[in-house]
Amino acid sequence: MKLTTKQLSLCALLTAMALALSYLENLFPLSLAIPVPGVKLGLANIVTLFALYALGAAEAMLILLARCLLGSLFAGNLNALMFSLLGGLCAMGVMIVLSRLPGLSLYGVSAGGAAAHSCGQIAAAVLTLGSSAPLYYLPVLLAVSLLTGGLTGLASACLFQGLAHTDLMKG
Amino acid sequence: MRPFPKLRPTVWDTLVVLCVAVLAVGLAFFQWRGGQSQGLTAVVSIDGTEAERFAPGELLEQPRTYTNNGYTLEVACGVWGEVSPWNHVSSGGEQGVCVVVSDCPTQDCVHTGTITRSGQSIVCLPARIIIRLEGGVTDPDAVDAVLG
Repeated sequence: MKLTTKQLSLCALLTAMALALSYLENLFPLSLAIPVPGVKLGLANIVTLFALYALGAAEAMLILLARCLLGSLFAGNLNALMFSLLGGLCAMGVMIVLSRLPGLSLYGVSAGGAAAHSCGQIAAAVLTLGSSAPLYYLPVLLAVSLLTGGLTGLASACLFQGLAHTDLMKG
Repeated sequence: MRPFPKLRPTVWDTLVVLCVAVLAVGLAFFQWRGGQSQGLTAVVSIDGTEAERFAPGELLEQPRTYTNNGYTLEVACGVWGEVSPWNHVSSGGEQGVCVVVSDCPTQDCVHTGTITRSGQSIVCLPARIIIRLEGGVTDPDAVDAVLG
């Protein structure tokens, strides 16, 4: 895959933004209201969704991989890498498929991605702990993902509306 | 030029939401139904291996601590909806197991509160410790088998 200087710069900028959003969401611990392991706002998904539509699937995947790797390196927690990678890859796969369906808006794609992210996180927990106990939390995580997916969909829609007059969407 | 995404919710989005909601409700029904609150056994697993098995009532004598992966959890007897000191459990609600103190960074295990029914579990991902309730008393009047 060849990237132009503009695309490479944009990928780097979006990776930095995704990392900043991941850090920022720690300031709003959703788990205090919903005490389930893995529950979070998923603000970095705004960047993934934007990259998917503005740059393409391959570039969005690059940004996701860089964000997961750098995020766990900066946090000094390589155990978290499996969780973010599995969750992120599941979300990305579902969002790529849903984004190609003509009838869906950003809200549907985002909600589907958030639900897939929850499934990926639970799969990572089952693999890490060697027990099916984390599956108990999946219904709650799926219900929460509808809310968080809707919120990130709204944020992404506002972002696209704000950038509609720029040439970012023209590739 | 890539197609500009739709910025307003569509009818098809409702279908995605419905699919996720049906999956959540179906899983909840499948996993949460029929939980017993009497005659339970708490099973503590560390790193995927069963470490201890005890009746929740035994925690009334003294809470138990478990250490793994650099983190320590203190497990005590609690009442659903409140976190009580281990030796001061009121009789007002269903009794079960809770993590009262943990030095893990997420504190999800503490925030989970008290689990009181079979099938429920407290998961501490940083410590890789799972506390799960198993068993339960079955209805003594229930029919064992129907022959003929």
